[in-house]
Amino acid sequence: MRLAELQNRLCQSLLAGHSDQEWLALLADPSEQRERRLAVYRNNVRHALLSVLEAAFPVVQQLIGVECFTATALAFVARHPPHQPVLYQYGADLPAFLAAFQPLTELPWLADVARLEWARNAALFAAEQGRLTPGQLATVPSTQLSELRLKLHPSVRLLESSWPIHAIWDSHQPDGGPLEAVDLGVAEAVLVWRLNGTVHQRLLAVGEFALLAEFAANRPLADAVEIVAGRDFAFDLPTVLARCLSEGLLASLHGEDS
Amino acid sequence: MIETRNRAVVANRAGIGLRHPHLPDFLAAPQPAAWLEVHSENYLASGGPRVAALERLRGDYPLSCHGVGLSLGSAGGLDRAHLARLRELYHRLEPALVSEHLAWSIAPDGAFLADLLPLPYTRETLDVVAANINLAQEAFGRRLLIENPSTYLQFSEADWDEADFLAELAHRTGCGLLLDVNNLYVSALNHGADPLAPLDRLPLAAVEEIHIAGHARVATAFGELLIDDHGSAVAGPVWQLLAAVLARTGPKPVLVEWDTHIPALPVLLAEAERADFYLSEVKHAPG
Repeated sequence: MRLAELQNRLCQSLLAGHSDQEWLALLADPSEQRERRLAVYRNNVRHALLSVLEAAFPVVQQLIGVECFTATALAFVARHPPHQPVLYQYGADLPAFLAAFQPLTELPWLADVARLEWARNAALFAAEQGRLTPGQLATVPSTQLSELRLKLHPSVRLLESSWPIHAIWDSHQPDGGPLEAVDLGVAEAVLVWRLNGTVHQRLLAVGEFALLAEFAANRPLADAVEIVAGRDFAFDLPTVLARCLSEGLLASLHGEDS
Repeated sequence: MIETRNRAVVANRAGIGLRHPHLPDFLAAPQPAAWLEVHSENYLASGGPRVAALERLRGDYPLSCHGVGLSLGSAGGLDRAHLARLRELYHRLEPALVSEHLAWSIAPDGAFLADLLPLPYTRETLDVVAANINLAQEAFGRRLLIENPSTYLQFSEADWDEADFLAELAHRTGCGLLLDVNNLYVSALNHGADPLAPLDRLPLAAVEEIHIAGHARVATAFGELLIDDHGSAVAGPVWQLLAAVLARTGPKPVLVEWDTHIPALPVLLAEAERADFYLSEVKHAPG
């Protein structure tokens, strides 16, 4: 058997878990030992990829239990193995997989909780960049403020869900409240970002979410504020902007590394 | 900008594999580790605390980068995007040593299986691996060290055994050898062979680094299989094999790997101290 075919068939056999007798016949080991020896590699592959998903989706694992998570993750691994050897990026497709996974349709909010966990993972590994400071903002001439396009720090992620994903996530933290106390009828907008090496997350008010989304869309400040004010009558730009600056959500105007 | 500095040399001492749970210990205070080795693929992110920690620590400890994803045994050739990522990483970090495995992990359709899968030691495989090593050495502009794998099965079709295959590879590509003594032991026992036997035929003159680690023993219907899980202290017979290897190679940098059930840092450092004892008992390379 040529090397390419040998590798292709072993890959299929390892991921799908089926036995390939023609492949096993290539081995010098006694025939009754071959399946068991191959199983070491199958276990290694599954364990390695499962560990990556467990590390990225700890709350999803708590929500559905270890056994169910393992079965679900292995089904995902078999269908969507990583296609590059950079495993901190593996799992981006798990939320969409969960949304369509028949056995879990009774938990309609699960996929959005997974999206939140993936956003945390992405924030942890996002590029570093300097932050916009009040001092730097003050150097912008007032005549240019309306046309200013503020940029989000590369670690910032914005999520909107019809479910209380932040509350569900929070109830699975060591100091979180009970899951039973979460009102599943509440939609939430959540902000995730990294500051000083730590990933943070909090709820966003309607106006805050809209403003940050406009920044992400590269909208000039004056246009962004006009759009946001139309949606949130209580919106107060100075308050919101001051909080954005103190939390390090905006990128330096000069785009330099920090 | 990161300043470019000369590659700090890894001394013939025991180093440890730097793992995420120990980063806070290293960032809080200097640790008695002679040098550090990292898995290259764990530091390819654009940013974040781990990358920042390594950027800092590389200034304080000589560094070795151990790749676990280049898949030198892939019949389809190397993943060019990954080769470019690693090239950029090594350019930035300037590690003293760079290593990969005699194994494959990327299937022809591009799936990455996250394990070091076995190769038949045939002429076709030799051509594939030698071409891939040449390409990587050219891209990195440096000698690559190739590690002997732990294996659990053997192919009938073979033109060489593993020791002769590695000697042939070193001859054809000029690559160095990262001799993993635990893998040598695990593979030999899994195939009912004598772990000392390959030492006469391995290209020991090309050894630039040695690995040691713990392994697990699993009962099967046909006796025990040893699993290279890096999840415990180095086993007694592996220490003895290390002594036999060092007696032939002379002192070399020895790395202690511990990847599952990772203990507190002092436990790992104590293993390194023990390896240093074995190194101190060794005279310099004969001849």
